[in-house]
Amino acid sequence: MFAIIAAKDLRELTRDGRLLWAGGLVVMLMLLALGAGWNRQVQLNSERSAGQALDYDAWLHQGYRHPHDAAEQGMHVFKPEPSLAVFDPGIGPFVGSTVWLQAHRQSEVKFRPAQDATGLQRFGELSPAWLLQVLLPLLIIVIGFNSVSDERERGTLRQLLSLGAPARSLLFGKAAALASCVGILIAPVGLAFAVLIVVHLPAGERVDVVYRIAWLAAGYGLYLGFFVFLTLAVSALARSSRAALVLLLGFWVAATLIAPRTASEATNLLYPTPSRLDFDDQLARDVADAGRKAWSTHFGARTQWDPSVPLSKWGAALKVDDEAGYGALDENFGRLWDTFERQQRAQGWVGLVAPVVALRGFSMGLAGTDFSQHRDFSTAAEAQRRKIQNIVSEDLIEHADRLGNAHFTYKAGPELWASVPQFKYQLPSVSFALAHHWASLALLAVMFCLSVALAQYALSRPLMR
Amino acid sequence: MQPRPLPTLSLIVLHEARILVRDRTLLLVCCVLALMVGYGLFVGLAQATLRDRMVAQVLKHEQETQTANSGMLQSVLAGQTALIPFSNPANPAAMAGTLSGRYATMLNAPLAALAIGQSDMMPNYYRITYLSKVQFMYDTEIENPWNLLSGHFDLAFVIVFVLPLLVTTLGYNLLSAEREHGTLRLLCSQPLSIATLMTGKVVVRMLALLAIVIPVPLVVLLLIRPEARGAEQLVLMLLWSALVAAYTLFWFAVAALVNTVGLSSSTNALIMVALWTILVLILPVTMNLAVGLVSPAPSRTELANRTRVATAESLREYEDLYSADYRYASDPEALLVKNERIEVPSRMRAFFLAKQKVDERIEPLLKRFDQQLLQQQKLVDRLSLLSPAILINEALTSIAGTDSHRFLAFKDQTEAFHQEWRQYFSPRILESRAMTIRDLSSLPRWHWIEMPASEISWSIWWRVILMLALASVLGSLALARSSRLSIE
Repeated sequence: MFAIIAAKDLRELTRDGRLLWAGGLVVMLMLLALGAGWNRQVQLNSERSAGQALDYDAWLHQGYRHPHDAAEQGMHVFKPEPSLAVFDPGIGPFVGSTVWLQAHRQSEVKFRPAQDATGLQRFGELSPAWLLQVLLPLLIIVIGFNSVSDERERGTLRQLLSLGAPARSLLFGKAAALASCVGILIAPVGLAFAVLIVVHLPAGERVDVVYRIAWLAAGYGLYLGFFVFLTLAVSALARSSRAALVLLLGFWVAATLIAPRTASEATNLLYPTPSRLDFDDQLARDVADAGRKAWSTHFGARTQWDPSVPLSKWGAALKVDDEAGYGALDENFGRLWDTFERQQRAQGWVGLVAPVVALRGFSMGLAGTDFSQHRDFSTAAEAQRRKIQNIVSEDLIEHADRLGNAHFTYKAGPELWASVPQFKYQLPSVSFALAHHWASLALLAVMFCLSVALAQYALSRPLMR
Repeated sequence: MQPRPLPTLSLIVLHEARILVRDRTLLLVCCVLALMVGYGLFVGLAQATLRDRMVAQVLKHEQETQTANSGMLQSVLAGQTALIPFSNPANPAAMAGTLSGRYATMLNAPLAALAIGQSDMMPNYYRITYLSKVQFMYDTEIENPWNLLSGHFDLAFVIVFVLPLLVTTLGYNLLSAEREHGTLRLLCSQPLSIATLMTGKVVVRMLALLAIVIPVPLVVLLLIRPEARGAEQLVLMLLWSALVAAYTLFWFAVAALVNTVGLSSSTNALIMVALWTILVLILPVTMNLAVGLVSPAPSRTELANRTRVATAESLREYEDLYSADYRYASDPEALLVKNERIEVPSRMRAFFLAKQKVDERIEPLLKRFDQQLLQQQKLVDRLSLLSPAILINEALTSIAGTDSHRFLAFKDQTEAFHQEWRQYFSPRILESRAMTIRDLSSLPRWHWIEMPASEISWSIWWRVILMLALASVLGSLALARSSRLSIE
């Protein structure tokens, strides 16, 4: 019975113009998004790895120079694009990709792509993830809103029940038909894309990406399944097809369009983000305080340029100064980033009414484009900067401090440059993402189960009202 | 007897209003709209206040630094303070750099609360020192990237995204409901054209929506933001109202046109939602992609590479200055001002010169970035003809002064000021001239030159006319078709 119902519904849906037009549009957009994203990623990654190699080469061959001036030239490091960023760019457009590691200050990741774009960027980024999160639920609603109500209005439901079709078969048959419509649209493109990505990867990274894809499929499956069962439930509960349509569209607008914005406004009130000015002020104060304390314990001086700290201690002083600052930097940036993460976690609760919020976090987490993974990169870049600084200070203490006022005439050579290792950043593995986002997945699963229960309830009620 | 359109129209308007009030749909929709407009305005006001406060804070900071500098300089010149090379205000290189305390700031436009636009991302102040542009021009405002991605719930969002949906809710069954209830047949038996009927229905609904969305924000702004009361601002408010009205009219015209096809209410609703999805959701994101493809930004990786090369070259060029003897820590007397001359430590001179050189070398590349962005913006201006949502969004942000154009202008003016700042110090540093008290008060000052209001209002008028033209084409098409509508 189940199979017959599914086959009948599927045939009806495929003959209907709605699926053809809407589905065709979605597939076209999907291909466009994948093509453009792929192209961009290949270009970016080759550019960045070439840039990174060039930069290190220049570091090694910078000739003889005072180590502090070498740290002035510094090093550029680039964030590699995770391969699934083509699928979900996540916060990518709104965070930078380049860090210039220089002496004295923690550099931020710069050059946000959104700065090089127009105001149109704020409408959103056309990506496969956006299509699956926003447009596919709409598609499910549009093709499924009348799947039960229409049978009732035409009187075929009565006939169907007279044949002894159990409500459960009816529900799952209709769900299977709706789900396979969606499947027909996205599975071929999705599979082809997954294979393409995995084939292009070096063998070492393949397993990780395959796991990520599998988890993503599970997350999106639950999300779209939620919409399938919700549509059926509302279609069975509503008085008429029209009422079902209006209710479902209302929910879609509220849940996918309005809820994410409202959630981000609300969490901003709950955990306010500091302004750049406040942040910079606080940071500068903390660094200065820490510095003063360190100066007085190490050198008994109040300021860096106190006459009691001659240039023969400059390397040692630099080291003390830098190390004193690390704590303040860690604390301030840590606090800021914790605020961001707290804001996002608080928004997770909105997932209870708007599953798209939960899915979005999960999706960008698994694609490797969420904030926690951006933070991981920023931390690694800062660690590299501190490594350079420490090497430089040690070398200054060893060689330049002996020269007194001629401190800056000291020049280090290639051996010192070579002692700074190349910056190698390994993207975090899938378990890192899961550890951050398992709650979202659990929430999606709960929402899915709730929608199934609601649909079962809706179809088990006396249908002949 | 020929129907007399005007009295009939007012009769229908009255009648329809009565039904809508009884029906409670209108009330519900109006409440939802009022709530959203209120919330959107609240969010916009909160953001505008935040930026106002930041500018005020920056200016205060600037004032304090100036006072501190002149106090310090006086005591240095009087020989009362121990001399420290990097914080000696008599030293022009220190004044140009760490002590500068000079900011380029851009005030909010008076109507900033109407749309957040790019203001949550682009900085509205820059700290001006002799540092290279790459070092300070790319600092952005701090905001959670997740929130930037979600977007703000501001008034522009309510108007661009939500208003058409509310129009759809009120208008998807203008005629189809009459037909489904069997009353269309009845109405057609009266001396009344369907065109008049439809016009009457649209007028009531539109007036109800506009009565909330237009006056509420404007009155609130006039009450709590005194700077919004100028003549120029009143013109902009008028433009804003015209724009919102034209956009609403456009969506009602679409609804009317869809209704004249003669399909069921459900189908009408589907068609309206499909049109909304295409015009408001899909076209803008697709065009964003297209703009990036047609006119891509130059590579930022290349900029990083060039910066490195330029920095290395300037380090090499000023190598002698960088590695000169440095005796100022142990011999602070060397920093004393003698005959209005001061010894600028050669390393500090090297910093100044090197940053200047770096900027000179990467200038062409930075120019390319700016040009490309302008190119993109031009493309967007042209493409906005294809989607009313883009058209109105661009116009709303430009009325609020939070559009890319204004931020680009700010960036340009800041670059010019940065140049001026350096040029002021360059001869002093090179000729070792000490800063005097008089100098401190004659330092280059920042003046933000606002974009000409006439230019803004011209471009918005043009958009209003375009939107009205679009709406009237669709509207007259709907009216023309209505005479051939089947009543079954």
